[in-house]
Amino acid sequence: MKIQKKSVINLFYIPAVILFLVFVIYPFIQGIRLSFTNWNGYSQTMKFVGIKNYTRLFQDANVKTALVNTLIYGVMSTVIQNILGLGYALFLNTKFKGRSIVRTIIYMPVMIAPLIMGYIMYFFFQYDGGAVNDILIALHMEPVDLLVHSGTAIRIIVLVNSLQFVGVAMVIYLAGLQNVPNMYYEAAMIDGATFWERFKHITIPLLMPAISSSTILNLIGGLKLFDLVMALTSGGPGFSTHSLSTLVTNQYFSAQSAGYASAIGIFTFLLIMIISNVVMGYFDKKEVDV
Amino acid sequence: MKKLALASLAGLIAISVIGCSKAPQEPVETTTATETVKETETKKDAVASTGVTIEFLYNLNGESVSDAIQDVCKQFTEETGIGVEAVMPGSNFSDIMKTRMASNQLPDAWTTHGWAVARYAEYLSPLNDFEFASHISSSIKEQITDGEGNLYTLPIDMDLTGMIYNENVLEEAGVNVDDIKTWADFEAACEKIKAAGLTPIQLGGKDSYTMGNMMDFVAPTLITNEDEANQTALLDGSFDWSKWNTVVNQIDSWRQKGYFNTDAVTADFMTGIKALAADKAAFMFTAASGITETYVQNQDTKMGFMPLPAREEGLKQSLMTGEHFAVGMSKTTKHPEEVKQFMEFLAREDISSYLATKCGMPSGLDNVISDTGRLAPYYDKYANDSSILNIPYFDRKYLPSGMWNDLCVTGAAIVSGQADSLTVAVDQMKTSYEEKKAQE
Repeated sequence: MKIQKKSVINLFYIPAVILFLVFVIYPFIQGIRLSFTNWNGYSQTMKFVGIKNYTRLFQDANVKTALVNTLIYGVMSTVIQNILGLGYALFLNTKFKGRSIVRTIIYMPVMIAPLIMGYIMYFFFQYDGGAVNDILIALHMEPVDLLVHSGTAIRIIVLVNSLQFVGVAMVIYLAGLQNVPNMYYEAAMIDGATFWERFKHITIPLLMPAISSSTILNLIGGLKLFDLVMALTSGGPGFSTHSLSTLVTNQYFSAQSAGYASAIGIFTFLLIMIISNVVMGYFDKKEVDV
Repeated sequence: MKKLALASLAGLIAISVIGCSKAPQEPVETTTATETVKETETKKDAVASTGVTIEFLYNLNGESVSDAIQDVCKQFTEETGIGVEAVMPGSNFSDIMKTRMASNQLPDAWTTHGWAVARYAEYLSPLNDFEFASHISSSIKEQITDGEGNLYTLPIDMDLTGMIYNENVLEEAGVNVDDIKTWADFEAACEKIKAAGLTPIQLGGKDSYTMGNMMDFVAPTLITNEDEANQTALLDGSFDWSKWNTVVNQIDSWRQKGYFNTDAVTADFMTGIKALAADKAAFMFTAASGITETYVQNQDTKMGFMPLPAREEGLKQSLMTGEHFAVGMSKTTKHPEEVKQFMEFLAREDISSYLATKCGMPSGLDNVISDTGRLAPYYDKYANDSSILNIPYFDRKYLPSGMWNDLCVTGAAIVSGQADSLTVAVDQMKTSYEEKKAQE
């Protein structure tokens, strides 16, 4: 009877498995196949070129730029989101009037599509008629083109991405904080521990599962950054603000090098997988049992 | 009871699905009740439906042009009984067509936007047997015909493009456009415009094609015009890419001299159009259709277009010609006879003239007259001037398909003043050219 029940339950996840196979596994295998060809993305013919696309990838200065940018987007966004998110969570874990409203306001940007957020921010930072320059002009200062230099543009992208998704980190940390038993703090206070000592020796170790989840989620999100880059700079000037994800699109559609784009895509997948696993392994060791 | 409940639930779901689903629309056949009544009264000779609907994808997104295309398709349906699903899929038309080509699920007819031969020939049916094939304008014939003489698209109109300019700005700066014959003259004009506190060259680099346009417009004047050796070398793959330095150096010298708008890299195309409309900027590297956009912003401004200056005295100025509104027919269509009728209908003098007039461009057929409106004096002035070269778009003729991206990206890098951008630009053009040539 039990076995029959189990097999019935198994039937329920068949649709999910089929969808996963069709929309994830099959395209992924096709992507691997294409990465060994010189396909231009639309022709009915293509040629097998062996590992040429992969060797090109390691010599391409534009891939190097995109890789460095991707790491900056991933790491910096993760750091900012986690520090700010934890700060917000600690603050909003205390009881005060209007706490729910503040939580909602911080979380609200998460609900905006990144592409829309990118365009809103473009109108904010653009040289001609942008909000920042309007303020500078009102203060009798010279307007500045903030997106023209790659360094500034990258900082802006990181900042916008971090502030938009800081709400996710905040929610994870809030959930984590609510699971920390109060008795540890009470015991520490009796022993005369300061706020910083309680934070360092109780909050952080017991928040490790939340830190792990938040870091991994934010890191993967940052390493896959696409919409925001497209809306703010389209990867320019030149290739200077491209992430690996936007470079894949650029190479696939604009440069008509679908085979090469697939190779960059596979490389990006492996990179994200390796980094995520290393970070996950690190946090696994740090977690403590309550 | 259980079965009854299940049956009711299934019925409910089925009704919901039917309710939510929507029959495929045929936009050209969709009319409001009032329109239908009006049409029944006025067009009693409408032919009964054949039950066949063909799909036509087009990339012309101007409101008045798009409406005209829909009207023409509607008229075709009334006259032949063949439905036309005419769709303008948005600004990423090119990417959508690439996806359709990749899956080999092409529309029955589509606009070829400059790529009839280089990109779409593999999927298009040659049109040599149509009556209109003998009326293709000599200015565009070469660009839409392959080496074996196969004609691939019906040019309802054609581009005749140089630089667009704001006449009020030039007047204020004391520049006479007819005095600009060479790039040196052009730079002298830019100095005067700059001295008048106005922007000489407007760019909108956030829309990267504006950078591509500039490179595409400047390159032929420095590399291929009246230089057969370079033309041949670019086509056979033996081009010496160190010569590209002349192009990048020219653009970089304009940047150093401060001819571009301050936000040249980050502004978008429409910001540029607005600057021209507001009499704040003088020149823009864009098709003459940009003038129409400027008049939408400010009817009272005065716009014109001029040929591209020559690299030195004694050489000819040039205007670029190419496809604008051109329609190709799929060679794998399931309704070849119906699509042929549609092509013949589009080429009909009254229809072709109506569409070309709506686009404000000269007709691509020599038996059709187009009213180009406020641009007419410029077409009259330059179209038949033998001292001006008619040249194809540089990238479409001389670069392998897929290199437009390189023009856009390297142009933006140069204008932004990035370190090593000139060397990187030349290297990237060379590498990309060699890779794509090897794939041909």
